[in-house]
Amino acid sequence: MRLTTVFALAAASAIFCGPIFSQTPAPADSAAKTLSTRVVAYQVEAKLDPTKHTIAASETLTYRNLTGQPQQTFPFHLYLNAFQPQSTFMTEVRRSGTRGNGPDTDWDPKHFGSITVDKLEVEGAGDLTNKMQFIQPDDHNTDDHTVVQITLPKPIAPGASVEFHIVFHDVLPKVVERTGYAHDFDMVGQWFPKVGVWWKNTWNCHQFHASTEFFADFGTFDVKITVPQNEIVGAGGDLVSTATNSDGTKTLTYHSEDVHDFSWTASPSFTVVEDSWTGSQGPVKIHLLVSPGHMSSAQRYLTAVKGTLRLFDEWYGPYPYDRITMVDPPHGGGDAGGMEYPTLITLGTAVHMPQGVLAPEVVTEHEFGHQYWYGMVATNEFEEAWLDEGINSYTEVKVMDALYGKNTSVLNFPFAQMGESGMQQISYLDDPDKDPISRYAWQFYNSNSYGGITYGKTATMLITLEKVLGEDTLRQALHTYFMRYRFTHPTGEDFLKTIEEVSGKNLRWYFNQAVYGTQVLDYSIGDAHSDPLKWWDTSAHGSKKNDKDEIYRTYVTILRKGDFQFPVDLDVKFDDGSTAAEHWDGQDRWVRYQYDRKAKITSAQIDAHNQMTMDRDYFNNGYTEDANPRAAHKLRNIWVFASEWLSQLLAWLT
Amino acid sequence: MAGTNRGTFFSGAGLVWKWQRLVWWLFAVCLIFGFFSTHEMTERAYSLLNNSVAAQRLVNGFDFSAFVTLQQLPDSPLEIQQHNIAHFSLLFVVFMLFATGGILAAYVLGEKPTTTTFFEAAGHHFWRFFRLLIYLVVVLLPIAGLAAASNAMYTHIEDQSISPYRGDHFVEAAAVIILLLLIIVRVWFDMAQVIAVADDEKKMHRALRRAFTLFRRNFFSLLWIYLRVSIISWLFFAIGLHIWMFRLNPQSVVAAFLVSQLMILTWVGTRLWQRASEAIWYRNYQATQAPAPAWAPAPAPMYIPTAAEPQP
Repeated sequence: MRLTTVFALAAASAIFCGPIFSQTPAPADSAAKTLSTRVVAYQVEAKLDPTKHTIAASETLTYRNLTGQPQQTFPFHLYLNAFQPQSTFMTEVRRSGTRGNGPDTDWDPKHFGSITVDKLEVEGAGDLTNKMQFIQPDDHNTDDHTVVQITLPKPIAPGASVEFHIVFHDVLPKVVERTGYAHDFDMVGQWFPKVGVWWKNTWNCHQFHASTEFFADFGTFDVKITVPQNEIVGAGGDLVSTATNSDGTKTLTYHSEDVHDFSWTASPSFTVVEDSWTGSQGPVKIHLLVSPGHMSSAQRYLTAVKGTLRLFDEWYGPYPYDRITMVDPPHGGGDAGGMEYPTLITLGTAVHMPQGVLAPEVVTEHEFGHQYWYGMVATNEFEEAWLDEGINSYTEVKVMDALYGKNTSVLNFPFAQMGESGMQQISYLDDPDKDPISRYAWQFYNSNSYGGITYGKTATMLITLEKVLGEDTLRQALHTYFMRYRFTHPTGEDFLKTIEEVSGKNLRWYFNQAVYGTQVLDYSIGDAHSDPLKWWDTSAHGSKKNDKDEIYRTYVTILRKGDFQFPVDLDVKFDDGSTAAEHWDGQDRWVRYQYDRKAKITSAQIDAHNQMTMDRDYFNNGYTEDANPRAAHKLRNIWVFASEWLSQLLAWLT
Repeated sequence: MAGTNRGTFFSGAGLVWKWQRLVWWLFAVCLIFGFFSTHEMTERAYSLLNNSVAAQRLVNGFDFSAFVTLQQLPDSPLEIQQHNIAHFSLLFVVFMLFATGGILAAYVLGEKPTTTTFFEAAGHHFWRFFRLLIYLVVVLLPIAGLAAASNAMYTHIEDQSISPYRGDHFVEAAAVIILLLLIIVRVWFDMAQVIAVADDEKKMHRALRRAFTLFRRNFFSLLWIYLRVSIISWLFFAIGLHIWMFRLNPQSVVAAFLVSQLMILTWVGTRLWQRASEAIWYRNYQATQAPAPAWAPAPAPMYIPTAAEPQP
């Protein structure tokens, strides 16, 4: 090949292959020694009117074109416009519900919110307000205004920056989904025009759906928030300064870097609790804002977050920020709870939360876990929600079990217990076979399936994977995945390949079923019994003398009732104390094992260590020769009592 | 006042104890209905759990996720038979409507009930008590309306107040008021039933009117008869529930069954205690309301001859 041709090919590769690699793990800006590649720099000034729950704001966004291509068109998220009657979000909620809201939820006008861009100027291009165009890349619902696109007169060259000056105002909804107000509490999330992500060689800027969350580039945020002086503010950033204004307001300035979002909250009714924790990266300030009536949960929140910080630091990687803000929404504002933003999380509790119900701990652990899986490993929550929600649910199981006990990490009463693993399992098994894990978040059958599969199935899938790899190997794989892909936008394949790389195993047979398929795993003991070998010789049976020498033929059959194929371990016990262990590849529909020995079977058990949490019905995983009706009697007691109590209650009418 | 409340309190208890077979009989019927209503789901539970190793999760402690998993199975025990519990409960209501006549007859008349007299009285009053039930449903409608209004008010308070306590306190107050209203209605209708039996009153609207007047004039007395026994009943129920949930070994089946059934038995017994106390109260009340004797001419004065008068 001629040298000039070689050079031409090399140049072409550099030009055309550059963008393809732009979304793979990119090194941080080495010159500034930042943690992430800072694509965006937001400077926002906002003023909150807590009476009307509106925000007047202006934003300057400096966007660095690191796409490797000239860029002329830029899409922006306007998430708050989802809270309009004809939006895609609202349409989908009416069809299939969403977290905390069923399809028939009454929507009060107070629940409507919006974000309006009053002016959009581009440095060097002037006022382009009239050039803004709402687009609907997902469903062509022209009434949905959650994505707006602007086309510049001239493209921005690769490596160059462009400055957008946007004046906008928000109307916060009465909180029904993450953002909004309740009484004098304002939770301000997804509140500013946010530019989309250049992803896989195109803009990725989805509409806001009932089951989707968010996706954005890393950068810096400098935000000035003006509120009345009596408001207590919490934000996802370091407080740089506070200035008192002559009109009875104050302006707080926050700075945050190497994050991809900025949220904040304000309420005059918070009680502030300060604490700290020190990890491998130094001290972390814990800034807890507690709502009235919830102080009894404050220590529970703090204990949970510190335990989580410690274990994440030990197992997966360091927490690099110097703060975490924890927001406890007030009663009536629970829909703002259970949410994550970079270095700010919202929690949830109740006035009389019993110690035996570990809801405050679970939500704290889960939302903090998102600082890793979403905050730093910034996956695309629209298209691969399982990468943050699912992995986070798995690490939730590990952390909660370690902190609060394997069987008591969710419920801990003398009369009833529940562990995290069980909770994830029942979430998944509620609707196990309609959607694969890998489905786009807004394309699930309904919100129930989305929740059960994205959270529950992913968690149980990873727990079941421990059976193949071992817990330590999987932990090492997650550590490697975090350290390699933090501050970038990895894909599902990046995650799965990391597991294969660390374990040294080809796991496509598993991932094709568990991640990309909808097969349900269900193995059962089909049959287990012992029969005298010489069953026809009646003189050989019955006498004590002959029993010792009697040889029994024992059969144990395992059935594969589901379509998911998985290796199965069988443990058989005999009445002379001997045991037998088998390993079956689980491929066929059944397998039968036969034993001839001077003993009868007492039990046969597959998955003796309860690692196959994906198994739909573990009650058929084990068989005991001797029937023990104790469990059924216990349930009968409860049911009979419930029936009698209902009868007595209704008999009051007589 | 008709007798002392203290008197009716202990007399009522004594009467229930003396004829305790009524208590046992009602309890037995309730228990049998309970078993029948849960029979199929229990059988399904037996088939799933008797030879299952995983069943231990429900025995050693109580793994709630295992319980939910059991219900999530395609042919789960609870899924099969939920409606049976409702049906048998309604059947029990009809049974109680029937039996109340016989029970009250025994308590009002103060005579030991024989099988014949019991069922005669039960049959005699059944249709009357059915009509009374319809009146009760109508009377309960405004209370249901009040409950709905309370709920709306609660929502409004929750909307306005950031403090969670205001709404909670309101709900507690509303619950007490509604409970009190329900108790008042129940006592009123209890007395209507007593009057229907004691005076063989055929017209239920008349029985209700008389009961209302009676109740109005002896409000606190009658209310207290009902309330104090209710308090005892609730106390026993709470203690029983506490023992069952927190004190018993999780693996216990027999002890748990005995405790749960003792709670039901106490519930039945205290309800009959209320009926007996009301019946005795009314009997005493009737006794103090005995009518004045009818007018009779005064006897003619007796002539007593003196010694000076000649003898006839």
